[in-house]
Amino acid sequence: MDILVVEDDSAIAGLIGRGLDAMGHQAMLADSGHAAIRECESRCFDALVLDRMLPDISGLEVMARLRARGKAPPVLMLSALGSVQERIDGLVAGADDYLTKPFDIGELGARLVAITRRSGLREEPETQVGQLRLDPAGHRAVLGENSASLNRREYSLLAFLMRHADQLVTRSMLLQGVWNYDFEPTTNIVESNLSRLRTRLQRLGCDPVETRRGHGYVLRSERCV
Amino acid sequence: MGRLPLGFGLALALAMAMAGGFVYLVAGVQLTAEVDESLAHERNHLLPPGAQADTTALVARVTAIEAHRWISDRGHLLFDRTGRRILGRVDMPMPAAGYSDVRYRDVGVKLHSGRALCIQLPDGGHLVIVAHSEIGEIMRQMVLPAVIGVVLVAGIAALTGSHLFAHMIAQRIARAQSAADTIARGDLSGRIPLDGLDGIFAEQALSLNRMLDRMAEMVHSHRQFAGHLAHDLRTPLTRLKGLLAEELATSPGDRDGLVERADRECASIIAIFDSLLRLSEIEAGSHPVGLQPLALRPVIEDVAETMEPVIADAGSQLSLGQLDQATVLADLGLVHQLLVNLLENIALHTPQGTRARISLRRDAARGEAVLTIADNGPGLAVTERERVIQPFARGATAPSRQGSGLGLAIAEAIMRFHGGTLELADAAPGLAVILRLPLFAAKESSEPA
Repeated sequence: MDILVVEDDSAIAGLIGRGLDAMGHQAMLADSGHAAIRECESRCFDALVLDRMLPDISGLEVMARLRARGKAPPVLMLSALGSVQERIDGLVAGADDYLTKPFDIGELGARLVAITRRSGLREEPETQVGQLRLDPAGHRAVLGENSASLNRREYSLLAFLMRHADQLVTRSMLLQGVWNYDFEPTTNIVESNLSRLRTRLQRLGCDPVETRRGHGYVLRSERCV
Repeated sequence: MGRLPLGFGLALALAMAMAGGFVYLVAGVQLTAEVDESLAHERNHLLPPGAQADTTALVARVTAIEAHRWISDRGHLLFDRTGRRILGRVDMPMPAAGYSDVRYRDVGVKLHSGRALCIQLPDGGHLVIVAHSEIGEIMRQMVLPAVIGVVLVAGIAALTGSHLFAHMIAQRIARAQSAADTIARGDLSGRIPLDGLDGIFAEQALSLNRMLDRMAEMVHSHRQFAGHLAHDLRTPLTRLKGLLAEELATSPGDRDGLVERADRECASIIAIFDSLLRLSEIEAGSHPVGLQPLALRPVIEDVAETMEPVIADAGSQLSLGQLDQATVLADLGLVHQLLVNLLENIALHTPQGTRARISLRRDAARGEAVLTIADNGPGLAVTERERVIQPFARGATAPSRQGSGLGLAIAEAIMRFHGGTLELADAAPGLAVILRLPLFAAKESSEPA
C-alpha cells in the first residue's frame, strides 16, 4: 500500500517509515499539514497516518481540507492526546481509527490494514469463513454437522475475528471492537477469553486462530475446515 | 436554644435586675430626701435665726401656725426636758434626734408612717416636726412592681434577642458549613452564597470564597500536573518503544532477552501513565460521560462473563451470588472499568484457589444499590485497607508486582464520581469490596404500571 505519514517528530516519522517498509508498504513522509495537502493533491494514497498536532495546521484541519476537496484516503489519526475525549473528537471529525502514542508499530500496521479493508467492503459482517459459520439465532458456531454454543463474549469475539479473517488483529483492537473498553486492562482479558473460544472450536474440530506473539491474532480461513 | 445564647441572655437579665435594684434604691433615697428637705424648711420657719428658741416661745409659735393651717400634712410636737409631750395633736413617742422614720396616730386609731425631724432646744425640750409620707408604700406599691416589670420584660427581651441573634449568626455560618460539606464530598465548586449577607459576614464569606477559588485552582493544577506529566512523556516513550521494537525485529540474537525485557518494562511504564491520565481525567471531571439509567444486573453478568476465564487462568474461581434488580444513573464505560479493575485484583492479588463472589442487593430503604465482591483470600488488615485505596499503594502481602498500583484509586474515583462509596470490609475470611450507588429514583414513577 502507498501510505502518507504526516508527522513532525522526525524520530517517530522515521520509525513509522522503516516499520511500514518492513511490512512491505511504501511510506511517504510529510512533516507539516501543508506538505501533506500538497502530497495528496499530487498523487493518491491508500491510507494516511496523520499526527493530530502539527506545527502549522492541526491534523483535524488537514482532514477537513482533504475531505472538502473530495479525495481523502482512510485516515488513521495519531496523537499523544490520549484522553477519551480527544479520541472521540478525532473520530467524530472523520478519522477512521485513532491510535494513541506510544503505540506499537505492529499495531499501526494492523489498524492500517483494517481501515483500508473496511473502506473497501463496507461493514458486511462475515458470517461464514471457509466451513466455519456463525448462527446468530442460536448463538452458536457451526462447522459442518457440528455446532458449539458460545456465550455472548465468545460469540462476538469470533464474529470480530471472522470479519477480519486473514488479517492481524491486535489485543487493543479486540478490546475496543469486542468489549468496547476504552481503558487498558492489567490482566490479559483477551488471551483468557480467546483461549476459551479456541477450546470450544477445537472440540468442534478446527483451530483457526493463530497467535502472533507480541503482535496479535489471525483467524486463518484455510484452517476453517 | 444553645448554651451560649441562654447564658448570654441570663447575664443580660441579671444585669437588668441589678440596674432595677439600683433604680429602686435611688428612687427611695430621692423621695426621702425631698421629704427631709420640706422638714428642714419647716424647721427654718419655726426657728428662724436670731429668734427665741426656748420651749415657751415655740409653744406660742406652733399654736399660732396650727391655728392658721387647718389642713396640713405636717404635724408639730413639743416635749419638755423630761420627755413629756406638752403640745401636739399627733400621738407618738419622742423619736431620736435628727431625721428618722416614724409611725404615729393622727386623729383616729390608724397608724400612719412618716418622717420626723427632732431638734433639741437649748432649754432641754424637743421640737419634733412630723411629715406624713408614703414613701414606703409608694416604693412597695408602685416602684417595686414597675422595677420588677421592667426587669422581667428586659430579661425576656434579652433572652429572645440573644436567641434570635444566635439564630441569625447560625444561619450565616450554616451557609459556610454547607459549602464546606460540599467540598468535603469532593465537589470543589461549592461556594458560600453572598446574597443577603452584609457587614463582616459578607467580608468573611468573600474571603473564604477567595480561599476556595485559590484552593480549587491549586487542586486543579495538581490534577492536571499528573495528566500533563503522563502526556508529555508519551512522545519520548513512543520513540523508546519504537527503537526497542526495531531492535527486536532486526537483531534476532537478543542475548539474555535484554531488549525484550526492556520492551516489557517500557510497556508497564506506559500502562502506569495511562492509568494516571485516566485517574486525573475522572477526578478533574473532564472524562466525557454519558450518564444514563443503567440496570446493574446485566452489566455485572457481562463483566463476570469476561473476567471468569481470567480468574480461572489465575487458578481461582468467580461466581455470581444473588443479583437483585437495581437501576443507577451511571456511565457504562466507567462502570465496566470499575468492575474489571476490582475483579482483576482477585486475579492479581489473591493466591490460587481463592473463591470470589459478586452479589447485588437493592436496599430500597436507604435508596442504594449495594454491590459486593467478596473473596475468601487472606484479606487485608484494617490499617492496610485504608492504605491500599491511596494511589500507588499495594497490599503488603500481595504476591504480585503487576499492575499500576492505581486500580483501587481509580475504582474509588469512579465511585465518587457517581456519588457512591467504596468500602473495604472484612469478609471473615477474606476481603469484601462493598460498593454503594444511589438508586435511580425516577425509575418507578416513569414506568407505566
